[in-house]
Amino acid sequence: MGAEHWAFQPIKRPKAPSVGGNKIDSFLNARLAKAGVKPNGQATPKELIRRVSIVLTGLPPTPEQVQAFEARYEKDAEQAYIRLVEEQLSSKHFGERWAQHWLDVIRWAETNGSEANLYRKMAWVYRDYVVRAFNDDVPYDQFVREQLAGDTLGRGEATGFLVSGPHVPPATIGQIPAAIRQARADRMDEIIQTVGSSLLGLTMNCARCHDHKFDPVSIDDYYSMAAVFQGIEFGSRSPEFGPDHPRRQRGEALLKAIDGERKKLRGTSPWQEDWGGYREVHFGAGKFKAIKVNFKTPYVGVDELELFGPDLKMGNVALASRGTKVSGPDHMAQRGRTTVSRINDGEYGTMAWRARAPNGSKEKPWALLEFAEPQTVSFVRLSTNREYYYEVDYLERMPGLSFSHMKIEGQGVDGKWRTLADTHFIEKINKERAARAVPLKAIQAHISEYEEQAPRPSFVGRFVEPGVTRVMHRGNPENLRAEVPPAAPELLAGDLKLNSKTPEAHRRARFAEWATSRENPLLARVMVNRIWQHVFGRGLVATASDFGKAGAKPSHPELLDWLASEFMLPVRSNAASWSVKDTLRLLLYSDAFQRSSRPAAHKADEALLWRFPPRRVEAEVIRDGILLASGKLDAKIGGRSYRIHNVKKTYAQWEVVDNHGPHTWRRMLYQERMRRVDDQIFTAFDFPDCGQVRAKRPVSTTPLQALNLMNSPFVVEQSAFIAARAEKEAGQGTQAVKRCFELLLGREPSSNELKASLAVAKQRGLQFVARALINSNEFAFIP
Amino acid sequence: MSNADHISPQSRGLLDRRSFMQTAGFSLGGLGLASLLAEDDPTGFSGKQPIRPVIDVNNPYAPRPPHFAVPAKQVLVIYCPGAVSHVDTFDHKPALEKQHGKKADYIPKVTFEGPPGNVAKAFWDFKPRGQTGKMVSDLLPNLATMTDDFCFFHALHTETAAHPQGENFFNTGFTMEGFPSFGAWVTYALGTENADLPGFVAINDPRGLARSGKNNFGSGFLPASFQGTNFTAKNPPDNLRRPKQFAAADDAATVDLLRALNDKHLEKFPGDADLAARIASYELAGKMQTSVPEVMDVAREPEFIQKEYGTESGSDLRQEYAKNCILARRLIEQGVRVVQLFNGSDPSGGNGITNWDSHANIKNTHAMQAEIMDQPTAALLRDLKRRGLLDHTLVVWATEFGRMPFLQGNGTGRDHNPGAFTCFMAGAGVKAGMSYGASDEFGFKAVHNRTSVYDFNATILHLMGLDHERLSYYHNGLERRLTNVHGHVVKEVLA
Repeated sequence: MGAEHWAFQPIKRPKAPSVGGNKIDSFLNARLAKAGVKPNGQATPKELIRRVSIVLTGLPPTPEQVQAFEARYEKDAEQAYIRLVEEQLSSKHFGERWAQHWLDVIRWAETNGSEANLYRKMAWVYRDYVVRAFNDDVPYDQFVREQLAGDTLGRGEATGFLVSGPHVPPATIGQIPAAIRQARADRMDEIIQTVGSSLLGLTMNCARCHDHKFDPVSIDDYYSMAAVFQGIEFGSRSPEFGPDHPRRQRGEALLKAIDGERKKLRGTSPWQEDWGGYREVHFGAGKFKAIKVNFKTPYVGVDELELFGPDLKMGNVALASRGTKVSGPDHMAQRGRTTVSRINDGEYGTMAWRARAPNGSKEKPWALLEFAEPQTVSFVRLSTNREYYYEVDYLERMPGLSFSHMKIEGQGVDGKWRTLADTHFIEKINKERAARAVPLKAIQAHISEYEEQAPRPSFVGRFVEPGVTRVMHRGNPENLRAEVPPAAPELLAGDLKLNSKTPEAHRRARFAEWATSRENPLLARVMVNRIWQHVFGRGLVATASDFGKAGAKPSHPELLDWLASEFMLPVRSNAASWSVKDTLRLLLYSDAFQRSSRPAAHKADEALLWRFPPRRVEAEVIRDGILLASGKLDAKIGGRSYRIHNVKKTYAQWEVVDNHGPHTWRRMLYQERMRRVDDQIFTAFDFPDCGQVRAKRPVSTTPLQALNLMNSPFVVEQSAFIAARAEKEAGQGTQAVKRCFELLLGREPSSNELKASLAVAKQRGLQFVARALINSNEFAFIP
Repeated sequence: MSNADHISPQSRGLLDRRSFMQTAGFSLGGLGLASLLAEDDPTGFSGKQPIRPVIDVNNPYAPRPPHFAVPAKQVLVIYCPGAVSHVDTFDHKPALEKQHGKKADYIPKVTFEGPPGNVAKAFWDFKPRGQTGKMVSDLLPNLATMTDDFCFFHALHTETAAHPQGENFFNTGFTMEGFPSFGAWVTYALGTENADLPGFVAINDPRGLARSGKNNFGSGFLPASFQGTNFTAKNPPDNLRRPKQFAAADDAATVDLLRALNDKHLEKFPGDADLAARIASYELAGKMQTSVPEVMDVAREPEFIQKEYGTESGSDLRQEYAKNCILARRLIEQGVRVVQLFNGSDPSGGNGITNWDSHANIKNTHAMQAEIMDQPTAALLRDLKRRGLLDHTLVVWATEFGRMPFLQGNGTGRDHNPGAFTCFMAGAGVKAGMSYGASDEFGFKAVHNRTSVYDFNATILHLMGLDHERLSYYHNGLERRLTNVHGHVVKEVLA
């Protein structure tokens, strides 16, 4: 049933109603003519630049941009408009604006949600990937392939897409096996929700317990799709980066720089490096039959001890899998379980060697690593819980390193033992020889940069063995039924010719191929509709993540299909396949987009687009616009998010500490997206809680918004900054008031507005004029 | 018969899309609108037509009619995070005395925190109370005096043994993240009686938010207007007050100028509902700046009230909670539609214990938590009754699940029990002095008249005059409901 539904039919390129001009207009105008509705005329240049800027970059234009545009517009309106659109499309802020829309769709956030709501370390590399992808106009089909299987394409961080939803970490699931299975099924459901809604506009998750009520999606389809992603688990891994990836290149450069500093130290005496999650002790390289680490304190906790030579390509020679034998005082192991064998098993995390020497014992914990063949070694790397360090952050009690001083000995090929490094001695030497401080400091500085800028373990999902996937009867993991192969929905020719033995990465790669095939009628329709929604405020299909029967019908079905075919295989000259920017050009160059937004007496259906429908801007546009006006906006692209919250205990709620200080003066895209945490200003403006997928933010109007925008420290401070800037740039009195209007609204005040504002400025202060302007409807609406 | 004939009078007006655009306040549609546009007008799983409230954009909190007439106009939820032990409070199990200290065949190999220990009888004595002779333990001596007014649900069971999921489930109807809270649903449906105050107030514990944080009172995918406003007797809502450095005249000047700017701007867009709504929201904000501090001023309550609630005796936390209880009454008095009062927080907050989650030393930890909860809550209920407020207010006392009739491996605490727990209701529309359903003789599983959380929530909505199968909101492919696709109203408890 339901297979005949419009959205599942192949996309056939419809003929535009008339030739010449912008095809979008010919579709829209035909409908307007049929309805007998006369469209509005062209908007003013001031309105146009504000509209184009906010739609494309999320930033209102500066007064200087407005002035320059108006001057050009007067000379040649068409050329000026083209230049405006092209400039905004190539602005580096374009990607930020469109990344925001995409992150909303997939409810991406930097915390897990649920009780502990832990921070997902380095998850933001995915956000930066999305910004870059939109800026570079990565073809949408490639963008989709990378997000589904970026690990196979040198864009490993793009798989952050798959784990964008919330999840409950094991510690809060408890010990009951059925609850553990249920939690895994819930995590799979989050993945399916993300993929189904964002890419296909299909509410796949409605088929988790039984066949879909409205759409031809069966419970088998649901679990077949689960099988595609069964190899994904919520967690961290080091993303796979191609040689051209900026992060990989940066990482290589930093390692080179670190190596340069190390060269200065080599040949002198040993040194230590603090890599946060682990420590390295470096010494003169040599060939050894065995290495022994003698700890000087009675208690140690080590999850992994690794040995490397100067050539990192040789890898960790301490691994048991390479034949290295480990021994140590296992009578000191806690409860007899935490034995020394755990330090070279290749596993990071809680499965660590934990040993405690008895009170008063002369013998302290030690570990002896004997190689199968002599190995070249120049440093030791040890950690206590590297997994935890890689996965979370901003907790009061981050696990430190549960070991301190040690002596490292090596047995040469001659069989003789000699001391390679003694950390007590290293500290002494560092004090004595001040010159060592320079390279040591430089190394630590590079390490800090490396932690942020190089390929690091990041919360973009990790891989597990997929195993066999079975249908869960009524969605119950305890009620397993028939085995299903990894596949896409049957209705959409989703047989991928795979089975339960197919390796996991191959499953996703095949699914990506299927999803981005031009035969798939949903991918292009759904995306052009999203683009349309973010330009005109409402999609041609009003339910942008539901193209099923329960969703809305398209207001202009032929236009939607024409756009979709043009998106996939453009016939326009100079347009590229799957290009988001080219699609935006098409939309923004239409008359429809450039129409005045003024109301008309006929009050015809807004969907006909007889005017550009004015709309409220999102929280981000308000905040960014205020910072732009005050001149305080730090326009840096990407990197770690700015924090407004505390460092908390593991089981505690995040609390807002500072949501307005200088460190927050960046675009709000870079405010840490915390699931279900109120930022005490902008959450009230329908900022999503990132719990469920969101095709579109609701627009509500509440007194709490008014209170936040009148009284929050952010607005109070920024009002003063705007007033100070206006006075500095324009002097006192009338000119300063005018400047405030320009900075916030991009226009001069009318004579009445000037009079009223001047009175307020004189009696109470210019900052109150700025405060009123920030709160004005004009500031909060796209004209 | 055309589709329009199936649809309630409330939503028939929405079929004219233009009028929807102008009245619903959600610019450019798409919300709640979708299935009206869809060809076959598919509905929720109940097969019943949704009833969509018509929201006045100029006042999203304006009162709206219920689906059917009921006595309850308001609802107060007293939520106890952490899981209150039913076998130590309201669910008397003499059988545990015989088994005390022994193994029992029903004890599973592993419960939430791991391997369990032996059976333990109630840590407090039970006594018959009031006219009904309801057996209640000495842990809650004050609430025990009021059991003639309560309607107990003894056969509740839930879907999860974990707190955050359990809180989500109880308060949003789903274990997963991102769904609207009960309070948001009711405010969406009914608006509120007092436009100068928020329609839904969440009074959080003095120690902070509970484990599911904002989910418990958030709006999920509903418009933000319907989320609970978070304040206590001590802490006002964020940014309510005029900034310290500003004089009253500074605010007046800003507001006047803003009004002039907005009026001028509106001239260009005559009749634009969104712009008008935003202008109205600033007026409402101004009113709230007076009305919220007034309602928060619990210190002006007379001495006998302070004594009765216990604002000046007992532990510091008890005193704070007692003030929150007075605030709850004042909010109900003022016509606030939904008040949710929390007695417990996340495990971060306080001195020793933070909620009812007594995994260790339940004898002390439940006693400490009860000291905070018992007297003020009892005083609140008595006060509501005395003032006649219970005639039109439904009170719900709830927790996310129960605790085990046996101890944990540590021998001092009880683990989570999703299989049986007790909550109660009182007030408008619900039978007094009643106990509905029963757990088995140990309090391990609900057996007689088993009541799911869906049923419980369906019953609360029914008592508020709302059909849980028709109160829905279109979100991504489904008419979403508080009760998902489940739930039966427990008719036996209706007065």
